[in-house]
Amino acid sequence: MVEKREEDNTQKISTLLEDLLLLERYIKDLFTFFPLPVCFVSPLGVIFEVNPAFEKAIGYTSYEIVGRPIENFFEKEKMEAMTKEILKSGNIEAREISFFAKEGKKIDVSVFGQVRKNEQGEITGFFLGFFDLTDIKKTESDLQNTQIALLNMLEDIEESRRKAEEEKNKTEAIIANFTDGILVFNESNKISLVNPQAEKFFGISNKNMAGKSILELSVFPELEPIVNLVGPEIKGISRKELSIKDGLVLEVSAIPILKEEEKIGSLITVHDITREKMIEKMKTEFVSLAAHQLRTPLSAIKWTLRMLLDGDLGEITSEQRDFIEKTYVSNERMINLINDLLNVTRIEEGRYLYKPVSSDIAPIVQFVINSYKDEYARKKIKLEFKAPEKPLQKVSIDVEKIKLAIQNFLDNALKYTPVGGEVSVFLKSSNKEIQLGVKDNGVGIPKNQQDRMFNKFFRAANVLGIDTEGSGLGLFITKNIIEAHGGKIWFESEEGKGATFYFSLPVKEEFTEFLEEF
Amino acid sequence: MSKKILLVEDEEILINILSKKLTKEGYEVTIARNGQEGLESMRKDKPDLILLDVVMPKMSGFEVMEEMNKDEKLKKISVIIVSNSGQPVELDRAKKLGAKDWLIKTDFDPQEVVEKVKNNFK
Repeated sequence: MVEKREEDNTQKISTLLEDLLLLERYIKDLFTFFPLPVCFVSPLGVIFEVNPAFEKAIGYTSYEIVGRPIENFFEKEKMEAMTKEILKSGNIEAREISFFAKEGKKIDVSVFGQVRKNEQGEITGFFLGFFDLTDIKKTESDLQNTQIALLNMLEDIEESRRKAEEEKNKTEAIIANFTDGILVFNESNKISLVNPQAEKFFGISNKNMAGKSILELSVFPELEPIVNLVGPEIKGISRKELSIKDGLVLEVSAIPILKEEEKIGSLITVHDITREKMIEKMKTEFVSLAAHQLRTPLSAIKWTLRMLLDGDLGEITSEQRDFIEKTYVSNERMINLINDLLNVTRIEEGRYLYKPVSSDIAPIVQFVINSYKDEYARKKIKLEFKAPEKPLQKVSIDVEKIKLAIQNFLDNALKYTPVGGEVSVFLKSSNKEIQLGVKDNGVGIPKNQQDRMFNKFFRAANVLGIDTEGSGLGLFITKNIIEAHGGKIWFESEEGKGATFYFSLPVKEEFTEFLEEF
Repeated sequence: MSKKILLVEDEEILINILSKKLTKEGYEVTIARNGQEGLESMRKDKPDLILLDVVMPKMSGFEVMEEMNKDEKLKKISVIIVSNSGQPVELDRAKKLGAKDWLIKTDFDPQEVVEKVKNNFK
């Protein structure tokens, strides 16, 4: 019986041992497999055992680790404190600490600790496990950065919004206080903005215009002329004068509002030119009156002297004739001066050119030259015209004004070339322009005065003694004539050697559009 | 029979000179010193040609022409404007009103005015 029992016990023990071994292997496998670093530490802080994850994390082999104090591998003071705490309270959870891996890299980890007691309840050591916080920390810092970036973006957006608001307010204030009237239309040609000045010009309140299409606006008699001018599609127009009502003349411009070349609306601006128109009218009236008042006595003198010279009032002595002829010439000078002044006034009114027509310039040049032949012959100056061999392209010109320009060149050449001198006139053409030059071998222009030659009333110092008659207006007028035709004027000169004056006129094709402004 | 010319002009010297010149050429010259007188005179005398100033007291040359255009008979009489001014807009207006020619006094001698008159009758 006893034997049987012993045999049973042996059997049991053997089974238990077997179970124990299996358990031990199981624990070992689990310990080995466990992906988080774990170690077992004695109550004195000496590492007893580590799992492969611990070795891997810390970078040392178990031989290098086991038997060494745990605080050697971690932040020392912190680990000492933690060890005490674990031994005292039995466990710690998720405490942050850094350890130094073999390569000296500092790694942040979260530590868990748990004491182990024997059957008698005595502490045999503690487990210490940790997981790497690097990724979490990184994610945390990324998150933080993202948050900061987001906040910054929000701030930027807020700032931009504030700026936009400010700009909007500023723009609105400008539009509201603008002295010109402004009407803005959207892409379907419906009105989207009317500023107070426009309301005032047309005597219609914003309310009554809001949202109406351009065509609907024609019900207001004050807006009808503008609607007729721009049409249903609001075509672009530049500075067209419109008489809106008695005592109100407006200059209307319409432009498309473009966004990346696509029309997204239209802007109509109206500028009050009533005062300018009134002044212009007064000026024209004044000029007309002055011309009449000044010219009347001059023509009376001219005609009387001519009667005397023609012998209509009886025979005169040669001495009398001489004096009368000189008086006649002086009177002519006065007439020319007044003509110059009238021309200047018209230039300043900005309405100088009159109905340009497409013309061949060579016969015009020839005509002016012919009219000067006698005067040049009297002063024994050779006047030569180098006419072009082939007919030139036509130019679009106000013939009378171009004649005046050529006359001014020939006048100057005649005045400032000494007796026996030479003057030649030439015409050249290139693809795009026709060039006229008048070359003399006269007194020339001092270098330091050359840049003022086209100024109103300017006369060079070296001619003041030669000729006291010049008004200083000829070249000013000529420059304005040429520039009004879209042409250029210039000269080349050396004092004492002569001067060549040039002007160029664009050939017709390019010029038509430019002239329509006049 | 000599041609009848009506000279409508307010400047005494010019009246003297032109009438003297024209009379010498054998024309019969009638003088009016403002636009209104001119109209009355042409209604009465039926001239063959009118030399007409523009800026005159009472009625301007343009107004005279406007009145003439309302009258079938007066409308047919040739008018040469003899003016002190020659702005393109004025020339245009005269042309539209039916003037045959335009002379700027300061640009012409009296003899040239006579030539224009002669040419008119050729």
